[in-house]
Amino acid sequence: MSALPAGRGARRTRGLAPTALAAASLLMLAACGGGSLSEGGGGGEGDDSGPVKIGLALPLSGVYSSLGEDMEQGFQLYLDENEDQLGGRDIEIISADEGETPQTGVPATTKLVTQDQVSAVVGIVNSATALGLKDTFVQSEVPLIIANAGADDLTTPPSPYIWRTSFTNGQVGEALGAAVAEELGGDPIYLMAADYAAGHESVDGFRESFTAAGGKIAGEAFTPFGTTSDWQPYLNKVRSSGAKAVYVFYAGAEAVNFVKQYDAFGLGDNIQLYGAGFLTEGGALDAQGKSALGVRTSLHYSNLLDSERNAQFVEAYEAAYNEPPTVYAVQAYDAAAVLDQAIESAESTDGAGLAEALEGVGEIDSPRGTWSFDENHNPDQPYYQREVQEVDGVLGNAVLGELEQ
Amino acid sequence: MEARTVRDDPDAGADVDGEDTKTRDPDRDRGWSSRSRHVVLPRVALGVVLLVLASLPLFLAPYPIGLAGRMLAFALLVISVDLLTGVTGMPTLGQVAYFGTGAYTAGLVGIHITDNGFVQVAAGVGAAAVLALFTGAIAVRTSGIVFLMVTLAIGELVHQVADSLSVVGASNGLAGIPAVTLVPGGEPLLLAGYVYWWVLGVFLVGLLVAYLVLKSPLGRSMRGVRDGEQRLHAIGQHTYPVKLAAYVVAGGIAGAAGTAWVAQTRFFSPGDLGFDVAAFALLSVVLGGAGTLWGPAIGAAVVVLVRDWLSAYVDGKGALMLGVLFVVAVYTLPRGIAGARWRRRSATGRDTA
Amino acid sequence: MLSWLDANALTMINGVALAAVLFLIAVGLSLIFGTMNVLNLAHGAVSLTGAYIGVALLDGSATMPNFIVAVLAAAAVGLVIGGVLAVMTSSVKDHLRQALLTLGVALIAGDVLREIFGADVESVPAPAGLDGAVSILGRQYPLYRLSIIAVSAVIAILLYLVLERTRVGAMVRATVADRAMVEAIGIRTNLVLGGVFGVGAALASIGGLLAAPILGAQPGLDDTVLLLGLVVVVVGGLGSLKGALVGALLVGQLQTLGVAMLSEYASFLLFGAMALVLLTRPRGLLPAKTGAH
Repeated sequence: MSALPAGRGARRTRGLAPTALAAASLLMLAACGGGSLSEGGGGGEGDDSGPVKIGLALPLSGVYSSLGEDMEQGFQLYLDENEDQLGGRDIEIISADEGETPQTGVPATTKLVTQDQVSAVVGIVNSATALGLKDTFVQSEVPLIIANAGADDLTTPPSPYIWRTSFTNGQVGEALGAAVAEELGGDPIYLMAADYAAGHESVDGFRESFTAAGGKIAGEAFTPFGTTSDWQPYLNKVRSSGAKAVYVFYAGAEAVNFVKQYDAFGLGDNIQLYGAGFLTEGGALDAQGKSALGVRTSLHYSNLLDSERNAQFVEAYEAAYNEPPTVYAVQAYDAAAVLDQAIESAESTDGAGLAEALEGVGEIDSPRGTWSFDENHNPDQPYYQREVQEVDGVLGNAVLGELEQ
Repeated sequence: MEARTVRDDPDAGADVDGEDTKTRDPDRDRGWSSRSRHVVLPRVALGVVLLVLASLPLFLAPYPIGLAGRMLAFALLVISVDLLTGVTGMPTLGQVAYFGTGAYTAGLVGIHITDNGFVQVAAGVGAAAVLALFTGAIAVRTSGIVFLMVTLAIGELVHQVADSLSVVGASNGLAGIPAVTLVPGGEPLLLAGYVYWWVLGVFLVGLLVAYLVLKSPLGRSMRGVRDGEQRLHAIGQHTYPVKLAAYVVAGGIAGAAGTAWVAQTRFFSPGDLGFDVAAFALLSVVLGGAGTLWGPAIGAAVVVLVRDWLSAYVDGKGALMLGVLFVVAVYTLPRGIAGARWRRRSATGRDTA
Repeated sequence: MLSWLDANALTMINGVALAAVLFLIAVGLSLIFGTMNVLNLAHGAVSLTGAYIGVALLDGSATMPNFIVAVLAAAAVGLVIGGVLAVMTSSVKDHLRQALLTLGVALIAGDVLREIFGADVESVPAPAGLDGAVSILGRQYPLYRLSIIAVSAVIAILLYLVLERTRVGAMVRATVADRAMVEAIGIRTNLVLGGVFGVGAALASIGGLLAAPILGAQPGLDDTVLLLGLVVVVVGGLGSLKGALVGALLVGQLQTLGVAMLSEYASFLLFGAMALVLLTRPRGLLPAKTGAH
């Protein structure tokens, strides 16, 4: 399997070519300039003139890139509505590709902080990537406004530099538990999720409020994350367990395949499917088609939410991008709104200054309803129970009502 | 004979260059006429490279120096892959398992026991070598593509364990790893430049170990395994201990690479030992020129540079550019980066050989 | 025992359906390796291309004629890609360099597909008439999965007949066994082998399309399919038609019955089983009889 025996290759070639190669790549690096043996002035410049640099770290490649696209559009829409200004200041956006895993996401986002010296970063879909970045942001004193990643650990304990405009995995599940317990009236439920942190957190959150409200569990299963494509063995178990309902956490391709198979194997007819709202959000619902009809989920947004603020947002979004907005777009849209308020009131627009100003951010008038940060820097927001229905020939998540918390 | 390369497989023939090197090889190795040049030049080159590497923190900003550190750590992983793939002729996708073991061990030691860097490296290398001993004892009984697939299974299984083991943070990854210190009670290495020097130190020691192994009797036996396992069997030499020893050494070096990586990123997640990392590590060896150690190290640096640095300027196109790089390299660098110069010489030196 | 059968019979049938999909995808990989001695890591990308052809041609619903047209289109595109890959790999003999080349092609193809079809998960409808369900042992089972078993069986038998009973098949087998000899009697082996590469890629493309109503089409599916395909052919025996079939059946049952019985260890089953098979039978369960590899 080899090219050359080592001795020969090494003796012949340890000459100028590799040296030149090494030197060339070093020169490329050196073009970035600087020195790294003193305290770098991370966190952007605090001067009051010129644009404020904001980093946008979103997945532009890999399996999460459709989320990244939605988020970019949401963020951009807010800028468009405000003449490319936030808090009365011009904004310079520097974007980075989060990719799929921390392997690419951490270095790409670190670059925004240490190299591009942005004043704040918005984005991050993958929880592991966000966790891998937490220390960098805290040490550089630059705020990270998480616009998706839902790991519970990210905001406990809270840091002045970590903020979140999205959700925690636990909350989304927890919001639904009591309502489902009431609907089932003592009938047992089966819990199922992708076997990774988000799946466990979501199921834990649901289980807690569900059992507290008197619900019974028929069984649970965690399916290998990212490699499961066939749920028949699990669905077989659901049937045998005698469960009258199922609660699941799946997103993306897994959500599509799961919901389609749930319907194809005939469970949809007599076992009600519940889930965290990502199950039927955006592109996933398009791909599921009618197999998703009747699925009930909890989420902090639906594009069918009936409010004046949302109607105006949906209209603007559809006009700009020719597709309905998703929860991911709203999370990024709101991150821009948060920055708008923070920059407005900030005494200085470097990282530390913005972090301080973030503490003073009040209510956000969002398409999802009004919300504000809680003491852990997570959104204190309404959650809705939604059901997939066909409205005017289009499938959507109709809002059944707000969930009591 | 599942998967010897064509060069090793007389029936398949057809590779002109392969035949060429095979027949010319003995003469070349006995041709000492230009020996002095071959001794002086590499030493000068080595000195220059070391000097440049060591002086980087003086003029590179924190982000590029961090990138350079990641290149070094990944290069050390790739060197361990080359020890097996290029030197011993055992293509592997499993070194990420030991890379991950080293990284997680160093991280856990850092969080729970001591932030002393030397202790972390020792623990990481030890844990990785022990795992390599037990898994290798089974794996090295196979060869060729079967060995490749068995090591793929080892990598994936360790990946799955990391993904579900809560003590290492499961799928969320191991965070909150403190910065390393060099002496008990000393200052933690927080500034990017100092961290880089630490990573460079680990890299150089790892490289030195790999080089010494290459020059040792073990290294000779490893090349012997690659060039003709059957022949060694025929003269009554057992190849199993050689292959296992090589596997353990390579596992330990991959572990060291893991400790260097984690000292730098202070975070490690299952994604860091996924299939794509394993594949890129193996392909870096091919890209650089298998069996030369330094060629694959440069290959590794190029891969990280393209994926993490160049891709930042063309958002979302990192994978595309790596793809183009790989395809172009196959046709323009038939012997890898290490063979680039050699090939030109052989073309002109054909008559005198 | 009877109750165990009752509980798991449907799961085992489903395992056969999954095996049928896996066989379609993996058999091309195995053929190409067996005859061309090329480890084609772009195989997953070819398969995903087939799935996306379904997305492009079958929007929302599919009549049977439309579906058949899509299958033919996928076959044609696969054939062309296979031909190109055959030319590209013809001068690259070393397995690792082939890996570098074909994985490079796969990375490029993945990006191009995402550029054209976007990053969202797309689904492909089953053809009308097969999109319903039947009742097996009192439980509902999708008809499309059963028809996949039939289609796969037909393709497997056809491949077997072509390889074992025709002149072309004899040439392919002879080329595998002794290329120099075949060339000596005046047969242009490159053409034979290029044809095999094309057929192998066409099978991958068809497999991707036929699997699409079950697996969907999205970025990243190419890697999943490639890894599964590799496991299937290595477990079964590289380069052997029967091996691919046995490998697919084993992996199919692992992913269904295995998961049902040992759901705690579901993530470890696939690679654990592969390691076990390779360590006990390094050449796979049913290795190719001919050839030096």
